[in-house]
Amino acid sequence: MSETYTIPVGPLHPALHEPITLKLEVSGEKIIGVDVFCSQVHRGIEWIGMNRNNPIQSIYLSERVCGICNICHPLCMVQAVEKAAEIEVPERAEYIRTIAAELERIHSHLLWAGVAAHEIGFDTVFHYTWALRENVMDLIEYLTGNRVTKAIMMFGGVRRDIKENGAKKLREGMKFYLEKFRKIEEIFLQDPTIKMRTRDVGILTREDALKLCAVGPTTRASGVPKDVRQDFPYAAYGDYEVKAITPDIYNGEVHGDVYDRIVVRLLEVKQSIEIINWALDNMPSGPLLAEKNLVRLKMKLKKAEGEGIGRVEAPRGEDIHYVRLKAGEEPFFSWKIRAPTYNNVLPWIPMLLGGQIADVPIVAASTDPCISCLNRVTVVDVEKKKEFQITKEYMHKLSVKKTRRLMRNGR
Amino acid sequence: MMINEVWKLLFKKPKTNKFPAKYAPKNVHQFLRRVQGGKAKIVPPVPTPPDFRGKIRYDIDSCVGCGLCAQVCPSKAIEIVRDKKWIIMHCKEGAKLAAPLKIKIYVSRCVFCAQCVDICPRKCLKMSDEFLLANENKLDKSLIVPGP
Amino acid sequence: MADEIIHFVEIIIGVFLVAVFGMIFGLLTKGIDRKLAAHMQWRVGPPVIQPFLDVKKLFCKENVVPRNAVAWLYNVAPIVCLTSVIAILLYIPMGSIPPILKGYGDVILILYLLTIPSLAMVAGGFASGSPFATVGAQREMVLMMSYEFPLATTIIALGWKISTLYPGEAAFSLTTFTKYPVWNIMGPFGIIGAIILLVVMILVTTGEITKVPFDIAEAETEIAEGVFVEYSGRNLGLFYLADAVKTVVMASLIVALFFPYNLSTYLGSSIHLPSIAWNAIDFLFYLLKLEIVIFFSMTFIRVSVARFKVDQVVKVYWGYLTLAALIALVLIALDILL
Repeated sequence: MSETYTIPVGPLHPALHEPITLKLEVSGEKIIGVDVFCSQVHRGIEWIGMNRNNPIQSIYLSERVCGICNICHPLCMVQAVEKAAEIEVPERAEYIRTIAAELERIHSHLLWAGVAAHEIGFDTVFHYTWALRENVMDLIEYLTGNRVTKAIMMFGGVRRDIKENGAKKLREGMKFYLEKFRKIEEIFLQDPTIKMRTRDVGILTREDALKLCAVGPTTRASGVPKDVRQDFPYAAYGDYEVKAITPDIYNGEVHGDVYDRIVVRLLEVKQSIEIINWALDNMPSGPLLAEKNLVRLKMKLKKAEGEGIGRVEAPRGEDIHYVRLKAGEEPFFSWKIRAPTYNNVLPWIPMLLGGQIADVPIVAASTDPCISCLNRVTVVDVEKKKEFQITKEYMHKLSVKKTRRLMRNGR
Repeated sequence: MMINEVWKLLFKKPKTNKFPAKYAPKNVHQFLRRVQGGKAKIVPPVPTPPDFRGKIRYDIDSCVGCGLCAQVCPSKAIEIVRDKKWIIMHCKEGAKLAAPLKIKIYVSRCVFCAQCVDICPRKCLKMSDEFLLANENKLDKSLIVPGP
Repeated sequence: MADEIIHFVEIIIGVFLVAVFGMIFGLLTKGIDRKLAAHMQWRVGPPVIQPFLDVKKLFCKENVVPRNAVAWLYNVAPIVCLTSVIAILLYIPMGSIPPILKGYGDVILILYLLTIPSLAMVAGGFASGSPFATVGAQREMVLMMSYEFPLATTIIALGWKISTLYPGEAAFSLTTFTKYPVWNIMGPFGIIGAIILLVVMILVTTGEITKVPFDIAEAETEIAEGVFVEYSGRNLGLFYLADAVKTVVMASLIVALFFPYNLSTYLGSSIHLPSIAWNAIDFLFYLLKLEIVIFFSMTFIRVSVARFKVDQVVKVYWGYLTLAALIALVLIALDILL
């Protein structure tokens, strides 16, 4: 079949759980051209943080950037504000943050594993992993008070302690997962049909991963040992010395395909279990918050001036929040979120080219996209009723203009 | 290999908690009426852990109306209102009759972060373990705290 | 003349009964399949009558025809699909009840009729005028071409054996298969061949009723139900019914070819019951056999593997299954020659 035609995947498609559009140029079953269109879910979260909310309210707003990474985003934002306002975090709080972040990683990776299995039509594995995931959700509920929105972060610490009972439950839960881990590994890495669908599918070479700045498991599966927990440790990771997981740890070879991404994620679940056990054993005692009085904290943030960047290794990759505070103003003067999916969407193009239509869902899912995290500016010219997206060239031009203006003002 | 696993699962009890009933009832209201009449039984939900963040409880009498909770509420679910009861207030100009400030919480807007509970200086807010809050009307009496 | 009219009326009533039976039992089977699959996936699953509710709902819904669809073909395809599968059911014996159209056709005809539902789906898919449906229709054609050969080989191998043993009988008639069950007439080589053929047949069934791993034409997460992407309301309900009946047809075919045993032939001498009672018992036994065959050819397979890609499906059917079927054919040939 020499005739080519275009298949739109998205914005609404069973394979994509959130709105994003892929235009596929297809010849028969083969994909010969891919284009990605983002910006269907711009929600103005940053705007609310900069105009309506005070910083404390923004914690809970940042939690809602993404339903799954709702430890990473607040943690990242809180870190940025702590840097900007120079708040020192007590050590115990750092450990609790680490445990919460790793619990989230376990739940996110198990969720991803289920979704990936569903994308290749293996619903049994989907239901099975999600059933196993319930245990970590119950643990999270026990420790933080809710299954999904954990609301545990606060500027200068955390809001809840892990008490005796909680630690006991956590240890039991980790034991359960260490036992079940072998079964999950057996299902995912040894099942012939899963291997058939994922081996040598959606290959991202090391060069492409570096060139397109892929982050998280996506880039680690291509053999780039890039992990914020290892490179720029935050919270309690500095004491543990995390090592980035690349697929060659498992079987000594790096393909950069979907199978390798499964390997990386599963090994990370195991790593998370180890980190949680380590953190529980080495947790120091002490206060939870740098400033217990919330009213005083609020005033302090209002007076603070400065800027800070928070970097967190979310389950999907590196998450960055930039926050700028201005004295006398309650809302953030500036707040920019760069979620990991933003970097992981462009690698779809080299992954999909030359593949089949059947590969689209699993390849797209293999980067664990979270479209609600990702946003891009759509500028609407109201007068001309025209909508356009800011391209790189236009952005560059604007940046040059602004730099010139700043330089002129500086003089 | 899932082939071996499915056989084991076939004879295992399903993991699902069958709340509120094994199959969705044809008519929910009818089902609830039958439950109240004792004709049907609800399968209990998974128990909530201690310190669960459910529907908010408000002790109106110890509230001083400082309004801090409304300031930190991320979803603006808390409204500051005048109390229905008038009391004698003592201020610089002497005693006068006034309605003190109280709050009204719209649970349908609440995001259950418990930030107001943390900031309340009089500890008159508390999260309960009630979580079955679905309702057709977001301004229903059961979704406004304090109740009428 | 009167005889012919009675015969004609009999056939019409029979057709009606068979159609109703096919639909009701097909939907029930679907319900049981969903329930068992749910349990194999560690969950509760819908009630067994859920497919009936689904069909009821679909028939209440609006029937939308897309603007750039070929309306007449789009609307005719589901009807053709359903009627053709019901037509196949008329040629298949149910327990000790002979087929309605006994003597009018044989397995070769069934083989041809089996392609019509798939062709109707392809036509409907192309007529919907949606890129997803087009991809789905192409995939359905690929699938159809892939499983045809192993299926034909299976039937020819069995027919060959019967025709050499009993030259007087109509070799490909299903009644002949019922009369001489496969396992009774085979030698040691033939038994191995027949077992291979049974496995091939079960896997072909999975493809024929488009279930995971061979559901490439529908592939929900890839091409959004493929050929059915634009269908809604009554048309989708008809396809749903056709799928249910097709499951019964394929399972009946396996039962008729490989397990044509009836309880009455074995227990009829020791337990004395009126012949109608025996017919009923045989019929129930036949339903039980159907359920077992469906469990292995549909439920069990679909819960324990992932969906294949198009090239992998072709490889499985044209490569492994065709090879297996040919080996079985050679084994049966050895059986005949020795």
